[in-house]
Amino acid sequence: MKTQRSPSGIIAFTRTLQEKLILDMKVFFFTMQEFFWFSIRAFVAIPKAKQYWRDVLDQAKICGADSLPIVLVSAVSIGALLAIEVGNLLEDFGAKTMLGRSTALSVIRELGPLLMGLMLSARFGSRNGAELGAMQISEQIDALRAFGTDPIAKLVTPRLLAALIMFLPLTAFSDFAGLQSAAYMAEHYHRLDPGIFWNAVYPRLVAKDFVVGFLKAPVFAIIITLVSSFNGFSARGGTSGVGRSTIKGIVVSSGLVLIANFYVSKIVLENM
Amino acid sequence: MIELRQVGLKYGEREILKNVSLCIKDNTIKAILGPSGVGKSTILKLMLGLIKPNKGQVIVDGTDITNMNETSLYAIRRKMGMVFQGNALFDSMTISQNLGFFLRENMRLPEEEISRRVAEQIQFAGLEGYEEQLPENLSGGMRRRVAIGRAMIFKPHMILFDEPTAGLDPVSSKKILSLISSLRKNNNLGAVIVTHIIDDVFNVADSVAVLYQGEIIFDDVTEKLHEANHPFIRSILSDNILEL
Repeated sequence: MKTQRSPSGIIAFTRTLQEKLILDMKVFFFTMQEFFWFSIRAFVAIPKAKQYWRDVLDQAKICGADSLPIVLVSAVSIGALLAIEVGNLLEDFGAKTMLGRSTALSVIRELGPLLMGLMLSARFGSRNGAELGAMQISEQIDALRAFGTDPIAKLVTPRLLAALIMFLPLTAFSDFAGLQSAAYMAEHYHRLDPGIFWNAVYPRLVAKDFVVGFLKAPVFAIIITLVSSFNGFSARGGTSGVGRSTIKGIVVSSGLVLIANFYVSKIVLENM
Repeated sequence: MIELRQVGLKYGEREILKNVSLCIKDNTIKAILGPSGVGKSTILKLMLGLIKPNKGQVIVDGTDITNMNETSLYAIRRKMGMVFQGNALFDSMTISQNLGFFLRENMRLPEEEISRRVAEQIQFAGLEGYEEQLPENLSGGMRRRVAIGRAMIFKPHMILFDEPTAGLDPVSSKKILSLISSLRKNNNLGAVIVTHIIDDVFNVADSVAVLYQGEIIFDDVTEKLHEANHPFIRSILSDNILEL
């Protein structure tokens, strides 16, 4: 049986909904403002990074060397799948010799950097969120401030620099692994001569293709590091709060990586 | 000297502190007593400038820090040491690294001087032989003593203690309280102790402020607490421990 609302009930309900929306909007804009200043402070602290070069190296190892296996696994898997699927499609048009070019463009421009970004968002971003969140709830971040150390310069800027340095070579490794696995599948699954595959890759690639792909690395580095660190710093409410802030960091940074991936491609392809 | 003048603080709609005024003189021990969640720790964070009040002023050694920016606050904060409730030790660092961390970070001291100061604090806290241990390998009382040693590393004139004996066994609590007393005797340090344990107040504090529902309902020398007529104070004096 349907419940009927009286007009005054509907007005009260609408008012409550309106108040909730206004409050949510206020919280959203306040958070954006906080995030903006947090990001500015992380960049402004870059000159202090030489004091924290050990932290930069540690973070470079975590987001670079330690993340390499997962980046390679995802690149190999997507390169191989792409070669199989695109090869099947091209075969229908009798254009299998174009397989090298189409997979190279997809991997170098889009999938190599995108998968690397998503993998690092999950691996490096979650680590940042959980570690900084745990430090926040155990008052270690307050302790840094209380004893005169800027927690953003000490904890966030080294992560940001390490990501900016390491995401570029990781993109290159991701592209390389993706292309190699695509070439392998082209030869062994589609019985395409490797010479034909690579001949369609090298001469056809232009600077724009690399600019699109490699410009994404620093953009993703900034997004992933700042979003995950900000969420770690904002953790409240004990261990479950750390869990919530970590998840939020991964979800938001992954979403932003996908959006940024689209816009970087669009802007570069339209302007180069 | 630390002064809070008519300080008010709100979190959203919730009013945490209402017109709180306090004065902590150098070389005295002041306790802030009150039930859990009443805003006692918040007062310590206000004194350090870690949070800003919605109204009123926070004055440290004659300087108004209420609206001071973070960079200027660092110099003020080094005049005070803070012992956090959960100790806030860096769990990936050894005890001596924890003690020396902020000296290496913020002061251009030669490594020998840093080692000397660390050794001094290790000895003060009675932790000889534990220098290379991680905090997780120490007991609660030992971790608290490391936190006190760290709070003293800049040679401040005031140490702020957030629930210094909470969660400790009676023997460890006694050790911590005697350590706090010795700070004033041997190092001429003042202290602010936030606690909900009334025994701690009578054991170490010269004066006490009682915080109840966001307001200071008593602020005088410790001995006069027995003479207070407020029903809340009468109830805590009879129950001894505040768990409200």
